[in-house]
Amino acid sequence: MQKLYISGLLVIIMMTAALSAVARPISYPSGIAPMVMNDGTSNSANIQYSPTATYSIGYTFEHFREDNFNLHALQVNNLLKRWNNPDSQGNLYLESGIGLSGKGEGIHPVAFTGAEADWEDRRFLVSYKNRYTTGQDINDFYMESARLGVAPYIGEFGDLHTWLMVQVDHNPRAKDPVTVTPLVRLFKGTNLVEAGVSNQGKILFNWMTQF
Amino acid sequence: MKFTTFILSTLLLSFAVPAYATTSTSIVHVNGLVCDFCARAIEKVFGQKTEVEAVKVDLDQKIITLDFKENQKLDNATITKLVTDAGYNVVSIDNGEGKK
Repeated sequence: MQKLYISGLLVIIMMTAALSAVARPISYPSGIAPMVMNDGTSNSANIQYSPTATYSIGYTFEHFREDNFNLHALQVNNLLKRWNNPDSQGNLYLESGIGLSGKGEGIHPVAFTGAEADWEDRRFLVSYKNRYTTGQDINDFYMESARLGVAPYIGEFGDLHTWLMVQVDHNPRAKDPVTVTPLVRLFKGTNLVEAGVSNQGKILFNWMTQF
Repeated sequence: MKFTTFILSTLLLSFAVPAYATTSTSIVHVNGLVCDFCARAIEKVFGQKTEVEAVKVDLDQKIITLDFKENQKLDNATITKLVTDAGYNVVSIDNGEGKK
């Protein structure tokens, strides 16, 4: 029963963390944003608290399926620069974490850092993020991904917002280093869901909310 | 007698004016308002202020309309700080007043 409860909790957390790469890594002042992300490489869960609009702090859990290791980290996201234009917005973030990883037996220190940049208006969206991860019991690795999105219609405040996107992941250590995933993002109120299938047949599912 | 009546009427009128409750509205033009996420942030930040009766965000016009409670309002410096702290830039603020 306890195992079931823990598994359920982990699934929720993982569903939460997966979106950290998907949605904005910093919420509004005093906002809390749980996220879950699942793709061909990993399952992750993350919850971030934003004391201000310029940084957030939270907990991240990630499970890398191919390498079979788990990562637990304290994650800090910083907004380095924001460009507020009349019809668009651009952002540059730094995302870093430090924690523990478990692979086989034993728990060892792990750390990661990376940058994320995005630009969007109400019709188009483009984003890029990268990350370098290092740890005592894992081979250091680098990952990057980019997105291009278009909104088929312009929704007003409170409407259901729909985005059609393509995500390209580059994971040099993987058997197939480049993955392309067409996906749909649905966003209404404070809830965001993304779903897609990659060219390798792997499912992407992300969820995020904020309160 | 006419003079006394005039003075009394003037006094009565001057006392009558404060009996009207005034409400005011501020229309804030903002840069960076491009998505529902931005609008939610603004709604959340102003919704926490006791002076604010209602917050409306117009993504097409990039404006925030703040309706204040009777005889209350936020000054422009406070509005600007709240919008800036939420991560956006104020372009201009139009203030309007009305009577109930």
